[in-house]
Amino acid sequence: MRASRLVTGAAAVLSVGSVASVAVAEEIKVVLSEEPDIVDPCEASRSNVGRVVKQNVAETLTEIDPDDGSITPRLATSWEQVDDVTWRFKLQEGVTFHDGSPFNAENAAYAINRTLDDTLDCEVRIKFFGGMEVTPVPVDELTLDIKTAEPAPILPTMMGTMTIVGPNTPMGERTRDPIGTGPYRFANWDVGQSITLEAFEDYWGEKPVIDKATYVFRGESAVAAAMVEAGEADIAPNIAVQDATNPEMDHSYFNSETSRLRIDMQLPPLDDIRVRKALNLAVDREAFRGSIFSEEVVPATQLVTPAVSGYNPDLKVWPYDPEQAKALLAEAAADGVPVDTEIRLVGRYNIYPNATEAAEALAQMFRDVGFNIRLEMNEVANWVDIFTKPFAEDRPPSLQQAQHDNNNGDAVFTVFFKYHSDGGQSTTTNEELDTLIEQATVATGDERRRLWQEAFRMIHEDIVADVDMFHMVGFTRISPRLDFEPNISMNSELQIAKIGLK
Amino acid sequence: MGETLRLLARDKVALAAALFLLLVLACAVFGPVVLGEAADKMNLRQRNAPPFSLADGWLYVLGADALGRSILARIVVAARDTVTIATLAVALSLVAGGTIGLVAGYARGWTETVIMRFADILMSFPSLLLAVVVLYVFNPGVATVVAVLAITRLPIYIRTIRAEVLEIRERLFVQAARVLGAGPVRLIGRHIAPVTVPTLITIATLDFAFVMLAESALSFLGIGIQPPDVTWGLMVAQGRNYLATAWWLAFFPGLAIMLTTLSLNLLSSWMRLAADPTQRWRLDRAPDTGAR
Amino acid sequence: MGAYLGRRTLQSLIALAGLVVLVFFLARLTGDPTNLYLPLDASLEARAEFRAKHGYDDPFLVQFGGFLVDLTRLDFGESIRKARPALDVVLEAIPTTLRLAAITMSLAIAGSILIGSLAAVRPRGIFDRTASILSLAAASAPDFWVAITGILLFAVALGWLPTSGTGTALHWVLPIAVLLIRPFGLLVQVVRGAMITALSSAYVKTARAKGVRERSVVFVHALRNAMLPVITVAGDQAAGIVNGAVIVETIFGFPGVGKLMIDAIEQRDFAVIQAAVLVTALLIFVMNILIDLAYAMIDPRVRHG
Repeated sequence: MRASRLVTGAAAVLSVGSVASVAVAEEIKVVLSEEPDIVDPCEASRSNVGRVVKQNVAETLTEIDPDDGSITPRLATSWEQVDDVTWRFKLQEGVTFHDGSPFNAENAAYAINRTLDDTLDCEVRIKFFGGMEVTPVPVDELTLDIKTAEPAPILPTMMGTMTIVGPNTPMGERTRDPIGTGPYRFANWDVGQSITLEAFEDYWGEKPVIDKATYVFRGESAVAAAMVEAGEADIAPNIAVQDATNPEMDHSYFNSETSRLRIDMQLPPLDDIRVRKALNLAVDREAFRGSIFSEEVVPATQLVTPAVSGYNPDLKVWPYDPEQAKALLAEAAADGVPVDTEIRLVGRYNIYPNATEAAEALAQMFRDVGFNIRLEMNEVANWVDIFTKPFAEDRPPSLQQAQHDNNNGDAVFTVFFKYHSDGGQSTTTNEELDTLIEQATVATGDERRRLWQEAFRMIHEDIVADVDMFHMVGFTRISPRLDFEPNISMNSELQIAKIGLK
Repeated sequence: MGETLRLLARDKVALAAALFLLLVLACAVFGPVVLGEAADKMNLRQRNAPPFSLADGWLYVLGADALGRSILARIVVAARDTVTIATLAVALSLVAGGTIGLVAGYARGWTETVIMRFADILMSFPSLLLAVVVLYVFNPGVATVVAVLAITRLPIYIRTIRAEVLEIRERLFVQAARVLGAGPVRLIGRHIAPVTVPTLITIATLDFAFVMLAESALSFLGIGIQPPDVTWGLMVAQGRNYLATAWWLAFFPGLAIMLTTLSLNLLSSWMRLAADPTQRWRLDRAPDTGAR
Repeated sequence: MGAYLGRRTLQSLIALAGLVVLVFFLARLTGDPTNLYLPLDASLEARAEFRAKHGYDDPFLVQFGGFLVDLTRLDFGESIRKARPALDVVLEAIPTTLRLAAITMSLAIAGSILIGSLAAVRPRGIFDRTASILSLAAASAPDFWVAITGILLFAVALGWLPTSGTGTALHWVLPIAVLLIRPFGLLVQVVRGAMITALSSAYVKTARAKGVRERSVVFVHALRNAMLPVITVAGDQAAGIVNGAVIVETIFGFPGVGKLMIDAIEQRDFAVIQAAVLVTALLIFVMNILIDLAYAMIDPRVRHG
């Protein structure tokens, strides 16, 4: 394998030297932490599926700009709102699918219907279009109307998650051979070993530099890092902070995840705001930076990153003030709040790198100001049961280690589920906040942004629903021969076409 | 007793093993009282401090872990839970598995068939599934850890002992005892069981290491030992993420497991010789160094 | 012999059926995959719909009935995660696992018989001491520790071996070495223990007295008698590799059945759990039958009742 890489490399050097350059296959190898179970593009919102197929094999109508959450054209060239419940998309001309079928309004409608078909449990449907009624209506060859039963002010944003597959992809059945319009064909899947993508000759856009990408799978961060170091691979998108020891090769990036402890506000003593404030004041956030987490993590004030529309830049990070925390607890205790009740800290192994250490450190910090904490690490299924409704009636009060990833540009994907009384993971019941969320959900433009910002202010200052932690960073090890800088979208996709060679 | 100690003193390796085990026992008994606080003292600024430096005091001579806690103190404190769990689990599987194996090998017939097919089932049942079932159905305390570990290890004792009994029961002295009218209990207890002891001990000592390491996997599922409580296995497992950058996190607790296993094995094989009148002469001879 | 085999096979099939029933119900005691499969944000309705569609809201007995009906068509169900027949998924992973187990166990058995016997010739001698300490240390070392250190040393620092993957013969060196250490260490101890006993037994003394050469005393007369526990323990270790070589499979990227089973249990992918247990159990049961036959061949006094 290494020998063939050398040959490729040598050939590349030669071809630069000679003017009459022969076409040389430029190959890269990517090490993912986990093999995808399925490769159907309608599951592209799962990160290990997305890193293989999203925008490489199957493209979307719109694309979300990772830096500021704005919407840019991809398979659609422009869009406009026709009325409250209709958006009109103009489609890119001259696009063909990998199997030769043309990309047009009718085929786009087919792909959308396939993803939204409820005989398939596609994550894109359940995660972004759950409970919505969406009807794509071809108007002419390159014009597609998308109608919704309820007004959908951010439909263009949502279309950034909707992968378009070819018309020969079977309806109601998963595909193991995804056909899209992207710069790469899904060439081969050797289950358990590798997935190979090859450049698509007739791609409508700019021809990419890399001709062939092979994905392999290694669960151990140290091994993935070692593979790039030893020259066996070119990119390891996700390595642990402690393995990112080579400044030449290792790049950090905000991965759009925000960590927190969810406070179960429905049970005493956590139903008292002074207790929740005391929890926040007890955490020495600076001590986490450059130790358990990377130096580059940023203390958070809300569950979305600045790249999301609706982020409130005016909120203040909780200071570390154990004395005030103790004072608040004493005050609450004086009012009869049972502050010495045992509180369960529900951790989850590997929810993010070094999660166990983080949970241990947090537990210790809470104990230091007088809380009675019992740390309990959980396997995933148990953790999800505790995290989501319906909550058990006889549960003990708990803090739950959690992390949320909103890389879809709009705060609605966060706020409703986490903080609305009807949200599936919400322990908050606040009518004022509910009203605000409902208004923001149907608002547009600046008004929408303002309302989300107000919601985040309420959650942070008036309600104190979380123990805020950090906007997290990920680390990617990249071979020095590649010209590539990771960004916030790295958590959900890895566009091979954006990779160059030095 | 005095004679045994005299023999032990002659064998430097066995003596060292015995002394090390005494040290581990002392840690288990007194460790949490003496160093309990030091083992929990977190200092993130001292995270992964390297070993063999006295700059931060003797407690940090083996370095600090990912939360800046003294590795030495944690190893000492962890001895109690580690030794308790491992001893109970190994003892339970050894006694239960050994007994069942003796019965199977001696009884033959349908008793044997049922027992052996039951052992086959246990052997093929995924231990993780067993652990998760226990997590959901029972209260996940230390007793459940011991039970899960013991059940997982049962088949090896059942199968090994039964195989030995198949052969032993055909030996002359067993046949002779039977002809002389020894009942099954006496036959198994006095004649057959003692012969199986060496194999049992060999497997059990190595199972010690296995159980100490396997126990940590259960911690991550939320069964048994949860931080801030700690065991050597848990320390080794938590050090896994730092192998490439801070080897000492996993190495020293791993070394503790290794040395304990080694000492157990060396001492038990010495005791076997000491307890066996036909082998005892080997101990009175100066160790064969091969140098002469 | 033939009658024994027939009876034994029948018994094993009954046990296998019992195991499958046990796994079916116990796995379902740990909750269904709905919450794990659907995104956290899925609504209660979406969850209910998913449960109904896949039959997770049916009583266990109804689900079991459906499972039995499918079984009569040799259908082991579909993996919820992989959207493929569970049996295909498992059968794909079996060859790698079998190859790992076969190579590892042959090396472990051959190596341990040699080293263990030589150690037993002079208990407490220098060779015995060295072999014991090394094999015990190996057997009690954490496997991931050996694996990752091995990669960092031999692949990254020295560049002699590839880090991971399955391409060439060189790719197999580190994984096999890691898998080897525990069975090897354990078997050296078992061989040594059994051989010490065998070498001091009456028939070995008789053989010596008859002037049989020392080498054949050790490797023929004594060894034959020491083989029973060795084979049993080797079988246990082989079973361990068949259903539990997870560390090696994960670290080195070997797509075997151990990792598959762990993932399926974590994700409550019931069809895969059942198919994987059935297939691995089948292998283990066959191996145990072979081991029992081997007992009788090694020691003719051990008859099958």
